[in-house]
Amino acid sequence: MVKKINLDMSTVENREMRLGTIIGWDGKASQLIEESDYEGRSEKKLGHGCGGGKGNSCRLCELKSPLNQQTMCANAIVECQIGNIEDCILIQHAPIGCSADNPWFNLAFHMGLVRRHKKLQNLKIMSTNLTEKDMVFGASDKLRRTIREAKERFNPKAIFVSMACSTAIIGEDIDSIAEEMEAEIGITVVPLHCEGFRSKHWSTGFDISQHGVARQIVKRNPENIQKDLINIVALWGTDYFTDLLKPLGLRVNYMIDCSNYKELHQASEAVATTTFCHTLGSYLATSLEQHFGVPQIDAPQPYGLAGTDAWLRAIAKVVGKEKEVEDYIESEHKRIAPKIAELREFYKGVKGFIMTGSAYAHGLLSVLKELGIEVDGSIVFHHDPVYDGAGKHQDSLKEFVNNYGDIKHYSVSKTQAFQLTQIFKRVKTDFVVIRHQGLAPEAAKLGIPALAMGDEHIPVGYDGIIRTGEMLKGILARKKFNQVLSRHVNLVYSDWWLKQEDPFLLAKNPEILDTVIK
Amino acid sequence: MSNTIDPHKLKLVKRPKNGSITNPYYGCTVGAAYSVLGIKGGVSIANCGPGCMYKQFFMMSFDNGFQGAYGAGAGNMPSANVQENDVVFGGLKTLDNLIKSSLAVLKGDLYVVLTGCSGELIGDDVPSVVKKYRDKGYPIVCADTGGFKGTNLTGHEIVVKSIIDQYVGDYDGEKTPGLVNLWFETPYYDQNWRGDYEELVRILRGAGLKVNILFGPENEGVKAWKKIPKAQFNLVVSSWVGLETAEHLKEKYNQPYLHIPVIPIGEEATSEFIRKVVDYAGIDKKKSEKFIKKEAELYYYYIEHFAEFFSEYWFGLPSEYAVVANSNYAIAYTKFLADQIGLIPKKTIITDNPPERYRNAISEEYKHLSDGVSIEPDFVEDGYTVQQILEKEVTFGHGVPLIIGTTWEIDYAREHGALLLESSSPTTESLVVNKSYIGYKGALSFIEHIYSATVGGK
Repeated sequence: MVKKINLDMSTVENREMRLGTIIGWDGKASQLIEESDYEGRSEKKLGHGCGGGKGNSCRLCELKSPLNQQTMCANAIVECQIGNIEDCILIQHAPIGCSADNPWFNLAFHMGLVRRHKKLQNLKIMSTNLTEKDMVFGASDKLRRTIREAKERFNPKAIFVSMACSTAIIGEDIDSIAEEMEAEIGITVVPLHCEGFRSKHWSTGFDISQHGVARQIVKRNPENIQKDLINIVALWGTDYFTDLLKPLGLRVNYMIDCSNYKELHQASEAVATTTFCHTLGSYLATSLEQHFGVPQIDAPQPYGLAGTDAWLRAIAKVVGKEKEVEDYIESEHKRIAPKIAELREFYKGVKGFIMTGSAYAHGLLSVLKELGIEVDGSIVFHHDPVYDGAGKHQDSLKEFVNNYGDIKHYSVSKTQAFQLTQIFKRVKTDFVVIRHQGLAPEAAKLGIPALAMGDEHIPVGYDGIIRTGEMLKGILARKKFNQVLSRHVNLVYSDWWLKQEDPFLLAKNPEILDTVIK
Repeated sequence: MSNTIDPHKLKLVKRPKNGSITNPYYGCTVGAAYSVLGIKGGVSIANCGPGCMYKQFFMMSFDNGFQGAYGAGAGNMPSANVQENDVVFGGLKTLDNLIKSSLAVLKGDLYVVLTGCSGELIGDDVPSVVKKYRDKGYPIVCADTGGFKGTNLTGHEIVVKSIIDQYVGDYDGEKTPGLVNLWFETPYYDQNWRGDYEELVRILRGAGLKVNILFGPENEGVKAWKKIPKAQFNLVVSSWVGLETAEHLKEKYNQPYLHIPVIPIGEEATSEFIRKVVDYAGIDKKKSEKFIKKEAELYYYYIEHFAEFFSEYWFGLPSEYAVVANSNYAIAYTKFLADQIGLIPKKTIITDNPPERYRNAISEEYKHLSDGVSIEPDFVEDGYTVQQILEKEVTFGHGVPLIIGTTWEIDYAREHGALLLESSSPTTESLVVNKSYIGYKGALSFIEHIYSATVGGK
């Protein structure tokens, strides 16, 4: 029995409290699996001892670095999810700088809309545009005015209000204002407590976005169950899930990016919820299961042969297509076998390295292994020792290691580019696969090309193995450029740092800094 | 004949001041971290929340022509990533550790600590921590850049002043005749800044000046900053950014300044610019006139070629345009196209929220774009209002309308079949590597880019 998600509250308990998430760790993947004790945690009521309660008995050891580099925050994640809904408006209650990445999520939104064959439009996130005076005298009236303006300008189906560091520090009461304005303008207003300093990892922002959707957008007491509808918690990826699930007679309901109010609202009418990434999807899937009775698919993620097989079987079980799925799996294996064999031949002796969020990395690693690519190390930006819902078959790291073997240098580190010089001393690789900003350019200067997996659905399913394999050919060829770069571009690190061997030296032995900086 | 648009035309769209913003055109004060990165050997240390530098990165660099970065820290800047504990108990310990480790790991000649909203609101005594390292001999300064204080341009002036006061320091020695400090485009924010610096420096050198280059590809690092007090004068080639710095230097080092508010594009404007600067500097005109002659010959060699295409292309070319850009680019591009190419300006909207005190002077420049051509510019920082103005107040006649704008005008361009040339922040539909639209050479590239987008059967 896992701890129930509380939709009565407007706030979300941070990932580090709820799940015991860490952002610094270094060792073998198998060792992290052991320390994480996924099963043990899922049997306990979360929050008792596991990073949440008083006892520290099963809190994971965490490396804390004195040197950190820029990262995302929960507020940015809320932009990337809630700001990308077609007919709802996100208001960022903040100075304008918190919206400076709007153009990035606009680009992603455009890409997503094209991939999903929807009408192109710019995102329409609003900022209350707070200034010094507002910090002194409070900004609640500006928020009220902006909510009215949002209604007047765009006539949205719902309005979301996000908190920022500054508005949290000056104590803006977005809950009361949301309630008050909802009555005034007659549409749902959702407060989101996603100030950047709140959580040490940005992925808490996924939970906050999804909490708001589950709490105030998803239809309560649905009358009609749509027996062929399955929720996929996603970002902006190409719609490969439709083809993948068609043989099971299912239609796909993507949540949250590039969806609209109606699609989010109907989530409670679906037969099940699943995702391409447990880091992203488990909070919403668990909320829908606990509060709306829509089961979460308890299966490995759909990557590689074993993962995709198991995922399809779990879905088939829910919709009563156990027999059909076996035929489907068999024919798919047969169909892709020759192409996979060809790709495995091509990738003989090639080494790869992943640098992405946690559960997604486990999926990508499976795909590399299916292609016969060797992996001696990888970086995940955080590690969740357990997921919401704690499904028996969702321990994605364990799933990977059981299917494909251990990873010698498995590092948990939140976009810390300065470690890469040491990391690529101890682990050789021909390429990296990345998501999130900041690391690829640093790897590039070390002569290593990067596959920026911007369309996160590319590696999903059977064809995902082939798509990834084909895409990587172009990336490996780019090594020519990276070699030019590494021949001519100077590294930005001190001689002292370049001489060090351990990427986590500063976290393990911060006192050493006093011998360098006197 | 006159291209003049009636400046009293009814304004149909409300222009709210300091109101909400949908689709922003600038970052906040801490975005000036990118000014530090415009100096070779400059390292920004962000005393900020975790998302702050991530967010600024997009408006300043990645989504502003995918400019990328040079040197330490751009795209992955050292950052305090302020947490709840720091907010409740103060963040100085975190900052101290960050500074110490940044100094140890990242190679740099000047470290600038920028404090964002959190640090400023909780009132941490940042200067005390920074002073500790400065007293040990490390080149480090700090700037109060809480995001609520304004735009990245407000921040730019704060950062420049902080470096001058805390790093360059006092000076009462001799001045070097002919040496000029160049205060020009804002690094990264003015998206063609690298190419533009190269072209403007080439021009000033060609004219016989010794240029102290404070930012960009030919900046020699902090050495140039130490030379600031020795210059004969400050040259501000910018609509308004840099004027505060010039005023400060006038007071601090008793240096006069020359302000050229319109960045020159094309032979006529650039030659006039050179003559103005040379006059002010009081240096020998022989060299500059020789340079002008050579540049003019080259320029018209190309223009004559272009004239054949321009006169004879059968399939239609844009004749009317609107500009949506920051102050610098708005006037420069509006003027060049109106005065030198003979396109009809229908609207110019300035997006960078210049302080009120500069606005009259900025508007004044639009009154004499060319003989018989003037418009009244708008100051709008909200993308929604910009789109409304384009839709309700601007009518284009025959042909494809040309929009020199930003990513946010893409909806308008799509809906109205306009040709959008993204040229100001944010820009996600074109790449800037070594682009310049200014001076002699840039003008030719500008023409190339506009008409490459126009020609053919696409």
